[in-house]
Amino acid sequence: MSTATVTESPSEVLVEIRDLVIGIQRTRADRLILVDSADFDIRRGEILGLVGESGSGKTMVCRSLIGTLKRRSATIFGGTIMFDGMDLAKIDERRWRSVRGNRIGYVPQSALTGPNPVMTIGGQLVEAVRCNRNRTERDARKRAMELLDLVHIRRPEVVYDQYPFQLSGGMRQRVMIAAALAQDPDIILADEPTTGLDVTVQAEIMKLLREIRTEFNMSVVLVSHDLALIDDVCDRLVVMHGGTCVEVGSVKEVAQNPKHPYTIALNRARIELATPGTQLITIRGNPPGVGEWPSGCRFSERCEFVQDDCRVGASPPLLEVESNHWSACIHAGELGAASE
Amino acid sequence: MMFGFEKGTTQVSLSMPPADVTDIAADSTQAGPRPQPIWERILRRTGRAVIVAFWVMVVAFMLIRLAPGDPVSAALGGEASPETVAALRTQLGLDVDPITQFWKYLWAFTQGDLGSSLLSGVPVTEMLKTNLPVTLWLIAITVTMTMIVSIPLAVFIALVRIPALPYVFRTLTAIGLALPSFLVALLLLYQFGLIWGIAPIFGYEPGFPANLHYLWLPALVNCVVLVPVLSRVLYSSILDTLDEEFVETGVIRGVKSYRFFWFYVLRPSLAPTVVLLSYMMGVMVGSTVILESIFALPGIGRELVTAVSMRDYPVVQGIILVFGVLVVFLSLLGDIVASLLDPRVKLT
Amino acid sequence: MTLVEAGAADWFDVKGTTPKGKQARRLKDGTIGMIVGGAMLGILLLMGILVPLLSPYESDQSVDMPFMPPSSTFLFGSDGLGRDVFLRVFSSVYLDLGVAFLGVIIPFTLGTIIGIGLAMSRSKKLNAVVGSVIDGINAFPLLVLAIALIAILGPGLQSVVIALSLTNWARYARLSRTRAQVVKQQGYIEAAQTLGYSKPRILFKHLVPNVSSETTAYGLSDLILVILLIASLSFLGLGAQPPTPEWGAMISDGRPTLQMAWWPVVFPGLALCWAGVALSFIAEGVTRRERDVKS
Repeated sequence: MSTATVTESPSEVLVEIRDLVIGIQRTRADRLILVDSADFDIRRGEILGLVGESGSGKTMVCRSLIGTLKRRSATIFGGTIMFDGMDLAKIDERRWRSVRGNRIGYVPQSALTGPNPVMTIGGQLVEAVRCNRNRTERDARKRAMELLDLVHIRRPEVVYDQYPFQLSGGMRQRVMIAAALAQDPDIILADEPTTGLDVTVQAEIMKLLREIRTEFNMSVVLVSHDLALIDDVCDRLVVMHGGTCVEVGSVKEVAQNPKHPYTIALNRARIELATPGTQLITIRGNPPGVGEWPSGCRFSERCEFVQDDCRVGASPPLLEVESNHWSACIHAGELGAASE
Repeated sequence: MMFGFEKGTTQVSLSMPPADVTDIAADSTQAGPRPQPIWERILRRTGRAVIVAFWVMVVAFMLIRLAPGDPVSAALGGEASPETVAALRTQLGLDVDPITQFWKYLWAFTQGDLGSSLLSGVPVTEMLKTNLPVTLWLIAITVTMTMIVSIPLAVFIALVRIPALPYVFRTLTAIGLALPSFLVALLLLYQFGLIWGIAPIFGYEPGFPANLHYLWLPALVNCVVLVPVLSRVLYSSILDTLDEEFVETGVIRGVKSYRFFWFYVLRPSLAPTVVLLSYMMGVMVGSTVILESIFALPGIGRELVTAVSMRDYPVVQGIILVFGVLVVFLSLLGDIVASLLDPRVKLT
Repeated sequence: MTLVEAGAADWFDVKGTTPKGKQARRLKDGTIGMIVGGAMLGILLLMGILVPLLSPYESDQSVDMPFMPPSSTFLFGSDGLGRDVFLRVFSSVYLDLGVAFLGVIIPFTLGTIIGIGLAMSRSKKLNAVVGSVIDGINAFPLLVLAIALIAILGPGLQSVVIALSLTNWARYARLSRTRAQVVKQQGYIEAAQTLGYSKPRILFKHLVPNVSSETTAYGLSDLILVILLIASLSFLGLGAQPPTPEWGAMISDGRPTLQMAWWPVVFPGLALCWAGVALSFIAEGVTRRERDVKS
């Protein structure tokens, strides 16, 4: 049974993403759609988790927030990303330059290749500090040291002159977080920031991200496929499947009272995983390939509660099923009983 | 002459740090020991080059003595009387045991004495004074020309991105590797020198801007082979770089274009090219022997060929020693440049 | 679009531009290159048999006026002594390729034995000394060392092969020593030792095949270098001596009269390039395959 638990009052909305469509223009007439109808908000001071299997479009959504879709040959075909009165989906490269790094910071995926290998840590931080803002060399250096201190790197004066290859993976990722903080951004995007890191180091990095959020009242968008990680760190959660957002809500709500069969399956797979002696439950089938989406709900082919009306029409939109809890399942109301 | 990818060598020298999975024990907040300063690493690499240079001397000494056949009778021809042979042996210091010979040879070397020509009596060091600069200039101009052409070419092809280009490029490289440089030299000399008259057929003038007139065509011949190979390596390494995440970091940071191009595209890509160039130095230096002969340039390569045909064996030994040492130090230079460009390159 | 105007993001429109499908895959793994290279080499080898066999003349026989341009009777014309260039070019095929083959296979064998021997040996001193000598030899340009040795051995193709054997082994030795050391570290050698297999069995069943697969790929590209090296030496008058039909020597022969008659130089040159390109394509394919197998 569902109980309307609104724990915190919704804070100020920083970014409003509506009906975002991202794809690749292959030829003049041929568009490959990677993401359609991404629909969620980013609120000030929250850690928002973006989960989904590979191919669900989470990385694309993340890239659209820093304007580097082009690197993946993708473009935004529709929708809006409202941020501080600007529509990030439409602004040009020149405007982007004042947003990227300044207002929205980015922590790269791999600690191994994230930092520039041919520049010293100090050089990269100074670069991050000085870009877009006129600071003197000395001032920038001071700020870089501060930043290293902020991410709890001991002996920053040593690290300052080192090259990335001389640092451990965890250190490198700390440095990248420091660089993302350089301009006091409103939002930090972290696309699977702990890939390839040891589990204990992973936890340290997550702890650091949480600290930063509290200290600066920043928003953090954490892209991950690791539900356990998201559970630990995040406040709210966006679940993506087949290029759409299927469920949005607070972590607690989504974990205890999921309103989409995909999330239910994800939760179950996780719980079973944690119980020794039981058979491993996985979600049926593979995530639908890009461009091979079924009509209707894209989860319909894998869904255990599937009904005939699930398979027709367009992909169902997100609906607020409870306050601050959205689901894209047309039978969301019936799920409560089924999931018990 | 010929240039080969020495398989494995370029990959080996660009040693990447191990994956992060291995640093389980590493504390992610604690800096490691202060890194070794760059000059210290350069010094160590130079020390190693000096050791190799010593072994180059040993080899130059041994090969002449261990080779089947006798240099003295080869020098004098079949009809020399035993007395003449014995006299020459004494003159060359071949009448004592090899170990003593070697110490004498080393001692003489430290005194700046590489022996003298059998024919003219001119000390080899004297010959080097006039001939070595020609060869060095030829190498310097070749390297400069190659870089001037290869870098923009590779960048252009990497950024323009025509799908068929990699295959065209690969085919051209395969052909470039198989072209005999003496043939290219002959044909270019014929076309540029005789038909168009825009290059001198022979002759040389020392001193920098003046010698350019005589050296640009031989350097061009070397480029015909070097450019496809090097620009192909640079091209694929630029593509690799562009695929890396730090490039995106740079964009997000809003790095200025020219700075971005240097620090985020070109510099991280250049090291393998420089390392390859320094490996190819040996082959390129070898090819100057042929080029100097064809273009009648008074360099040490042509001197070597003359000395060989005259059986002037002290000159042969002196010149190959210089060639060996030259290659050792050129590849030292290449390694140093590569490690200055990219700190990941190990200097060992 | 100048560099500064273009936003940094314009620098990397990277993905999705390589051709797809079977054709592309075959281009990619070097199969097409190997087929083309193999065909080119096959044609050359076939002509090398057929032409001297079917020609009514001898390669050093004067058959026409000197310097007759290419015609329907003499496809490649005649050289300064009135010899048939067509016949001479194809008479050289087996000489050039054969000498090059010898010049690779002897150093290959020597180098592999020495390299594996060093890797197996426990003596640090031996490794240090021989390793240094190897480094010392490898520092020299191959051509320079070969020229120096020929100064003592006297010119001739035989000397070329000896010179190559004395110098080029060092490259193979270095390669196979490094490779053998790597292979030695790998689990299966240890496993074989634990199972109590005899040393020779481990050596020949595991070590040698593993090491030689890599050196073979290098040897193939080395063959190109050696072909060019032999021609270069002959061109300098240190290899094949006239009237032996050999490409480098023929080019050297025709050089003084290049202005008057291009064909005695260009056709042997083309044959040389043809052989080189054929092997180059094959080598490229083999290396590519090797890399694919590994990664």
